[in-house]
Amino acid sequence: LLWKESWEMAKNPMASRGSPLHGPRIKLIEKAQSLFSETKEHAFESKAAEEHARLLRIQHELEVSTKQPIFVDSSISDTIRTCIVLGNHRAALKVKTEFKVSEKRWYWLKVFALATIRDWDALEKF
Amino acid sequence: MAQIPNLQNGPINFTPIRDQSQKELLTILKNIRGKKCLVIDPKLGGSLSLIVQTSLLKEHGAELHHLNADPIETNCTKVVYLVQTQLHLMKFISSHIHNDTSKGLQREYFVYFVPRRAVACEKLLEDEKVHNLLTIGEFPLYVLPLDEDILSFELDLSYKECLTDGDTTSLWHIAKAIHKLEFSFGLIPNVRAKGKASVRVADMLNRMQAEEPVNSTDMGVPEINTLIILDRELDMVTPMCSQLTYEGLMDEFLHINNGAVEIDASIMGANQQDGKKMKVPLNSTDKLFRETRDLNFEVVVQVLRQKATSMKQDYTEMTTTNQTVSELKDFVKKLNSLPEMTRHINLAQHLSTLTSKPSFLGRLDMEHTIVEAESYDICFEYIEEMIHKQEPFVNVLRLLILLSVTNAGLPKRNFDYLRREILHSYGFEHIATLNNLEKAGLVKKQEGKSNWLTIKRALQLVVEDTDTTNPKDVSYVFSGYAPLSIRLIQHAIRSGWRPLEEILKLLPGPHTESKRSAFANSPSYDILPGGLRMDKVEDGRRALVLVVFIGGVTFAEISALRFLSSQEGMAYDIIIGTTKIINGNTLTESFMEKLG
Repeated sequence: LLWKESWEMAKNPMASRGSPLHGPRIKLIEKAQSLFSETKEHAFESKAAEEHARLLRIQHELEVSTKQPIFVDSSISDTIRTCIVLGNHRAALKVKTEFKVSEKRWYWLKVFALATIRDWDALEKF
Repeated sequence: MAQIPNLQNGPINFTPIRDQSQKELLTILKNIRGKKCLVIDPKLGGSLSLIVQTSLLKEHGAELHHLNADPIETNCTKVVYLVQTQLHLMKFISSHIHNDTSKGLQREYFVYFVPRRAVACEKLLEDEKVHNLLTIGEFPLYVLPLDEDILSFELDLSYKECLTDGDTTSLWHIAKAIHKLEFSFGLIPNVRAKGKASVRVADMLNRMQAEEPVNSTDMGVPEINTLIILDRELDMVTPMCSQLTYEGLMDEFLHINNGAVEIDASIMGANQQDGKKMKVPLNSTDKLFRETRDLNFEVVVQVLRQKATSMKQDYTEMTTTNQTVSELKDFVKKLNSLPEMTRHINLAQHLSTLTSKPSFLGRLDMEHTIVEAESYDICFEYIEEMIHKQEPFVNVLRLLILLSVTNAGLPKRNFDYLRREILHSYGFEHIATLNNLEKAGLVKKQEGKSNWLTIKRALQLVVEDTDTTNPKDVSYVFSGYAPLSIRLIQHAIRSGWRPLEEILKLLPGPHTESKRSAFANSPSYDILPGGLRMDKVEDGRRALVLVVFIGGVTFAEISALRFLSSQEGMAYDIIIGTTKIINGNTLTESFMEKLG
């Protein structure tokens, strides 16, 4: 039952999409996380919810700093790619370390992103 | 060519079933006088087009609309909804009505549920305060003949509903559908079921027979001799593999919907570049398709090439030598098949470009590696790389399911790692999908040892040196892998479950075998212990076996069954009943949940 309840919580934030600040959404996800963490079996879900909340915060900051509403609701990989495409390598690296993205995935993302913007020089270098 | 298939040449004539559905639908329309607006659930549109021509509906004064959130615009004062029992559709209906009343429009509303009304839907209409404005009825469409040997119950979500939502309504529908068939074709004397859902359906069938018996004495000989019911859950490996028959491949890439594919007109050789879609009907009325649909795609290309060359030869002969009138006649007859030829050459060409892509070949290779259970690590790394490259999510899930099912789950560390990578790559909203798959037991933590190897060996699922041109075994449909489901059916037809007990125990769910009591007093239906009656039905036709798949069947499996019944020494014709025609993508997608 507790699980079901927390599940509803995790779903809810998606329903409340569209609020410009996404503040309530992050709070809901955090609440879902705390519900998940009450049972042992849901360590994975709890971790996921926690990361999700963190991701939304970072995406929000990125949107404010780049003034482009393209980050929220994309995945971690997408966020990294968008950062590289925009030439914001520092932000990309920050997201990478924040979520402990493996080197393997990092290289794929970087290659794809650099190829999209046809930055062959950078591709050559790395 | 007509999209409605000709049903008369099949092993059993399904025309009465279709005619009855058509009649019922038209009666509904006739009973509502005057002009009316018929609003159809988009999911039903395809099925209806197999029952009745749109022109016929228009003759009955119906104006056709698809049901969606937008309010309907029509001058008709009568609105007829034809819907499946889905809650979100009820919301559409009530919003339509509210919209009309707010504009001061007065209309009569009729809602017909397919195949029957559901309490939950009516409750929602009551809550929306529109229930009293509606006339509610049912359109009992339980079975839809897709082709001369395929019946569909059109329950696309049944597998997911049973496994993750614990909703077994669809099982009642299946039993009801089979029972309805028995009214047309006689009580089926032998019933064999394997799997939880199947056994329940078999039980329900017996109960229905007790409550509302099919009168066997005035039906004469029952046309269907044996019913085999299988759960899709038994064999999740087969649907996750890429199908390699012509029809199966077409379904994988272009998605066949109710016996037709919709593709860009440019593929079919049309000159327009406006990306217009066209519908190509695919059923056994098309002779060339009938010949090629079940072949391995490699062979189809050869067959088409052969036909084209022979036609060219005929043509050159025609222009160089003098012909008699009868020869000319023959030639013209051959020319008549030209449109079919061009159609299939176009389709085959399009498919070849898709199948020669390295991504497809790589996936095929991986599927074989997983099925043969050669190297877990290679497969795991391949899937990991797919996730990292953000390849289409469905493709990832298909391989993941395959890997998980053949290994009785993934080791906890791998399981958590892949789940995390998936959420990172595709977004956290997919946690609901992963959760559904886990509940259904399709992608899960490893528990115990996998018995896939034992099953594979005992049933000879992997066949070396498969000859796709002159197949001797059903394994040709996957170029070397014989579907587990088909192997089970082969055994069930030949000898019943008994010799198979050991293997059946390794698969989920109980199994039952029963003889229907209505025939206890007619000795001619006694069967040999554990086997079927091997002699033929009196009128010289072969005995019929109805195989029902609960949770859907793929085209490749249908092809394999057709192949079986065409084999010499096979005393049975096989017809197929299914909740829906599926492929790996559609099956996986039914588990994908969209949040928000």
